[in-house]
Amino acid sequence: MEKTLKKEKLNSLITGLKDKGYKTIAPKKDNNLITLCEIQEADEIHFDHVQTNNSIKEYFLPKTEKILSYTIEKTKVSIEEPEGFAVKSVVFGSRPCDAASLPIMDKVFNWDCTDKFWIERREAITIVTIACDKCDSYCFCTSVCLAPDAKQGSDVLLTKISDDEYLVETETEKGEGLIKELETVFSEPPSGTPDRQVATVEKKFEIDKVKPWLDENFVHKIWAEFSTKCIGCGACTFVCPTCHCFDIVDECTMSKGDRVKNWDGCQFKMFTLHTSGHNPRSTQDQRWRQRIMHKFKYYVEKFDNILCVGCGRCSRVCPADMNISEMLEIISTDEGQPEPVSKE
Amino acid sequence: MIEALRKKAEELLKNKTVDVVYGYGEGSVPERTRPVFITKPEDVNKLTWNKYCVYNLTTYLKKQESRKLGKPAIVVKGCDAKTITVLIKESQIKREDIYIIGVTCTGIGDPPATKCKACDVNTPLIYDELIGEKIGNKEFSFEERYAELDEYEKLSEQEKWDFWQKQFEKCIKCYACSSICPLCFCDRCIVDKNQPQWIDPSAHPRGNLSWNVTRAYHLAGRCINCEECQRVCPADIPLNLLNKKLAKETEKNFKYRSGYNVDDELAMATYKEDDNQDFIK
Ligand code: SF4
Ligand code: SF4
Ligand code: SF4
Ligand code: SF4
Ligand code: SF4
Repeated sequence: MEKTLKKEKLNSLITGLKDKGYKTIAPKKDNNLITLCEIQEADEIHFDHVQTNNSIKEYFLPKTEKILSYTIEKTKVSIEEPEGFAVKSVVFGSRPCDAASLPIMDKVFNWDCTDKFWIERREAITIVTIACDKCDSYCFCTSVCLAPDAKQGSDVLLTKISDDEYLVETETEKGEGLIKELETVFSEPPSGTPDRQVATVEKKFEIDKVKPWLDENFVHKIWAEFSTKCIGCGACTFVCPTCHCFDIVDECTMSKGDRVKNWDGCQFKMFTLHTSGHNPRSTQDQRWRQRIMHKFKYYVEKFDNILCVGCGRCSRVCPADMNISEMLEIISTDEGQPEPVSKE
Repeated sequence: MIEALRKKAEELLKNKTVDVVYGYGEGSVPERTRPVFITKPEDVNKLTWNKYCVYNLTTYLKKQESRKLGKPAIVVKGCDAKTITVLIKESQIKREDIYIIGVTCTGIGDPPATKCKACDVNTPLIYDELIGEKIGNKEFSFEERYAELDEYEKLSEQEKWDFWQKQFEKCIKCYACSSICPLCFCDRCIVDKNQPQWIDPSAHPRGNLSWNVTRAYHLAGRCINCEECQRVCPADIPLNLLNKKLAKETEKNFKYRSGYNVDDELAMATYKEDDNQDFIK
């Protein structure tokens, strides 16, 4: 279904969503950050940015969440499961790369164990994406088979067609349902071919060259050379829409407690530390290699998807200016030089 | 200045005075630089110096990956150089194990970093070689040094509490603030200890408060105000306000400023019978 949305109708859209019982999550300026967060009014929404600082993932995989509570009595353990975690919501104005991360991660959360927290939230949340009309030098969606107007993962895609008008395209039944629910807000589709204002994102590397290189170069001096500056802070994994590692801990007293699921990341030294004291990834170059390998080799082998949408957040946030697309450029153009240090 | 820097680095590497030079190189974008580790004299052209050289490179002294490269020469600004003084005092490094390339500096960042406003170390206080024209270091009054706290200190206790609650709520518990800090060098941080679990690992209000307060307290009387923690915080939490407040209290109560003099006794690691205690309530 195609429609148009006039900017002046944004107010009615956001009020309409509220009336229909949706919580609205949208980009909002908060001091130096642009954050995807809950909003109440249309004028809170921030439009003129490349990318939000936080990714969409926290609405599906929160930074911390209780997965059960328990009470221990003499001979009995009672368990209480959380309810009401999936709230009917609309994410309005996330970017196509963020939306595209969702179907990629669906695969892992529906794999050997179906993660009800992820799945129920996926059902409860509708994604209304705005195609990018600008980008920066960190963006590389076009190098990972996506685009600034990619449709993957969006229920509705909005594309700017004039200063005060968006083209509205529904991509799923859920999206179509949403538009029908708020029909009066939208106008008829434009006559003729609309002038879609979409950014031009330069292609930085040939993705086809990446995995074959990774298949051969688990041991290579580039890993250490590139990552000496990495401080292992893990910020890259936390802002990444496709990084999904978590840690489960009990926060408890002797008789009762909560089991909590928290973000974790492969860049931390503690991530792979065994109780014996042995650490299979004891140095940062091994941890950096893991990040690249997981995204561009292991996940591809297991789920037939690259685990990266090219949003560039990891590189923007990195306190040591580690740039992931630069690494991939090196990999994809490497003709066997520099030589591996030694083969294991 | 860049030429002098490169020349010095080349000489140090050629003479094998050091094995590696930790310096600044060009970054992803013109408004950024990045840490570089130069091990070959022919690579010294990768070194640069400009107003985007924000990093406090002394943090790489605590990292096994950079230490593996051998004896380092480190490019430091005046503020960064204070770290070295603390690291020597705290027995983390020996003076003779590093070569210090001090650069004179009149301000960093765009807009300039807060720390540069009342900088009294434009010329580093400790170095083996100075790059750049020597600048007479300014002196500031106690009030001027802590001016950035003026607004904050006007708040009532309740308002301060509310302010921090709101700030800490944003924390995502990445611990980047501690990873980047050259003085957060414990091999096992208190957050990594889970028997017992001193600090809740969850990024909920209790976990975030206990982490942020603990981090700041462990740096009290030690932090040299490089502002690196605040720079790297992906949640934009004004960590420097906390650090600065603790530095102010330390100076007020112990007449001690971290990183200024290698002969000063450490504020938190020295016991004196006549220590000021009336602020402990
Ligand atoms: S790549 Fe950057 S953001 Fe990621 S762990 Fe290393 S220093 Fe931190
Ligand atoms: S790895 Fe970096 S560019 Fe890729 S999805 Fe994650 S944050 Fe975005
Ligand atoms: S505090 Fe002083 S030495 Fe440090 S960056 Fe600012 S001006 Fe330079
Ligand atoms: S860097 Fe910021 S977000 Fe990360 S743990 Fe420290 S305070 Fe929290
Ligand atoms: S606490 Fe922050 S400002 Fe102080 S020394 Fe550490 S990184 Fe620098």
